[in-house]
Amino acid sequence: MKSLNLRSMAKGATARVVRLWIFGLAVAGALTTLPAATPAAAHGERSQQAFLRMRTLNWYDVKWSKTELNVNDEMELTGKVHVFSGWPQAVARPGESFLNVGEPGPVLIRKSAFVGEVPVPRTFSMDVGKDYEYKIVLKARRQGRYHVHVQINVKDGGPIVGPGQWITIKGDMKDFTNPVTLLEGSTIDLETYGITWTYIYHFFWMAAATAWILYWFMTKGIIVRYWQVKAGKGRELIGQDEKRIGAITLAAVLLAVLVFYAAANREFPRTLPMQAGLLTGISPIDEPRSTVAVQFKGGSYTVPGRELRIRAKVTNNGKEPIRLGEFTSAGLRFLNPEVFTTRPDFPDYLLADRGLSVSDLNPIAPGETRDLEVIVQDARFDIERLSDLAYDTDSQFGGLLFFFSPSGERQRAEIGGPVIPKFQAGASL
Amino acid sequence: MSASTETGSPAGKTWKSKEEFLGCVILTDWILLVILFAVLLGSFHIHYMLLAGDWDFWIDFKDRRMWPTVTPIVAMCFAAAAQSFFWTRFRLPIGATTVVLALLIGEWINRYDNFWGWTFFPINLVFPSALIPMGFWLDIVLMISGSWLVTALLGGLGWGLLFYPINWPVLAQYHQATEIDGVLLTLADLIGFNYVRTGTPEYIRMVERGTLRTFGKDVVPVAAFFSGFISMLVYFLWWNMGKWFSTTKYIEIEEV
Repeated sequence: MKSLNLRSMAKGATARVVRLWIFGLAVAGALTTLPAATPAAAHGERSQQAFLRMRTLNWYDVKWSKTELNVNDEMELTGKVHVFSGWPQAVARPGESFLNVGEPGPVLIRKSAFVGEVPVPRTFSMDVGKDYEYKIVLKARRQGRYHVHVQINVKDGGPIVGPGQWITIKGDMKDFTNPVTLLEGSTIDLETYGITWTYIYHFFWMAAATAWILYWFMTKGIIVRYWQVKAGKGRELIGQDEKRIGAITLAAVLLAVLVFYAAANREFPRTLPMQAGLLTGISPIDEPRSTVAVQFKGGSYTVPGRELRIRAKVTNNGKEPIRLGEFTSAGLRFLNPEVFTTRPDFPDYLLADRGLSVSDLNPIAPGETRDLEVIVQDARFDIERLSDLAYDTDSQFGGLLFFFSPSGERQRAEIGGPVIPKFQAGASL
Repeated sequence: MSASTETGSPAGKTWKSKEEFLGCVILTDWILLVILFAVLLGSFHIHYMLLAGDWDFWIDFKDRRMWPTVTPIVAMCFAAAAQSFFWTRFRLPIGATTVVLALLIGEWINRYDNFWGWTFFPINLVFPSALIPMGFWLDIVLMISGSWLVTALLGGLGWGLLFYPINWPVLAQYHQATEIDGVLLTLADLIGFNYVRTGTPEYIRMVERGTLRTFGKDVVPVAAFFSGFISMLVYFLWWNMGKWFSTTKYIEIEEV
């Protein structure tokens, strides 16, 4: 007996030690991780593979009409997107796409969205190699500071996130309203519409179910019933009286269903099925064909130096001399300071205003063809994890080059192709 | 609650009085009820979220074809299994009602705390499907018929047929028509469009896709009958699943 007690005491002590260890580990885990936790600042765009971000959608001219709003204020998120010609084989083509917003929950609501002139609350189709203009009207809903991106979801390709900007919303979400006019003429506040009735209806049925369960539970409970069933007296538990109660309850339930159904039909005599569909034939941006032709001649990426070197043959078919001013890819903008003398208004984390240099600074004359070496170098390349290109299974880069003439005219040219990674600084192309 | 020892309970001499014995039974009953309810809530909730998923999460997924087809079928699994347990072991006609109530309590906690409380999706975007009257139907058909075969056939069919009419009283208001920028939408579509979900683009909504066009606009009854038919089959399978799960196995002391 004594040895048994000792054994059980030893077992108890071991269990206590194990529990203490687990508790200690949990506390240590919390103490070491929680102080380092910072608010989520982005929506996972950096986690997307570099080739995916560089060679699918090239975002440019992205603008947020406001960065500070009060609750109920509206802003516009506008810009253009180039659907890259060398769309990766690993990603489904954008035959079914949806213009979206990357934000932490509906802190701004989307009042309307357009691609070109076409409203796109629905799915739409884009063609590879074309450029599209978009506009999203957003209305501030919840107070706070949020990172708001443009985003296009591609069916079977996933969300492709564009540049993001910090938006500050002041006020209180309690004051937010979302008035909507119905086709029959009345106006409702969609923010709260129908919610009270939804609660009433659901909790009415939940109360009825609770009453039903408790009624049966309170008559003989669980254990006694188990004994009776075990003793072969299960049939006695459900007699005619019980069946009568059941039948009356069922009749009442079905009657209630009927009454609620009829009342809904009476109150809302004209209803529609939900609407969905694919919008095809949306026109791309209608602008003159670019007068600059760019041919990719090879490239390399120096991993430690965060430097992308591109060799390209550039032909100027225009009437004015041109200079390369910008390379953009995956929402990042690398600017040539020789061309951009003032810093454009764009989120700092995506703007490398001295990130682009060219082997030959002289303007390319009309009709001239010149071999250029374009050097894209900035820490942002690494911070935004584009240097992971070297580790992708399809190590090809992609992006847009922007050339500028003295009169301020901008010409756009797509560039992309395989790059060779250099894992040592100073290695030549 | 009334309890009786007439069936020859193992009261014996373990308890000082009959009152103490009854008190112990009643307390154990309550503990069992709470534990059972919590277990059913958790397990059914996971099952339902995985299989019904978006159809139950969002107002703009609650269409008249896919939603009334899929949702009752996946809800039938736990209803049948719970009936098997509650009916065969205790003759309690509460199996289906208990699991759908447990599910709805779990869902409402989830929708209110997570969807609304954490990510600010309005409740009219994220309220769950109503299921309680279907639970009543299934339980009472079993109680009156006393037969799981009849319950599978009649109860299963009614389970599928009742789903849409039960939900229509809440849903109808969101099927009123409106338009934005010249595009016709229902309020359900508009809620889904207004309140941004980064991972739920419009094209993943399974709104009346397929070739079931012969019945014109009356797609709900066809979907409901189909759902009821599959629910019958699911009932057979999951009744036995429940039976298997409620089996008690012992290890004989000599074997230890």
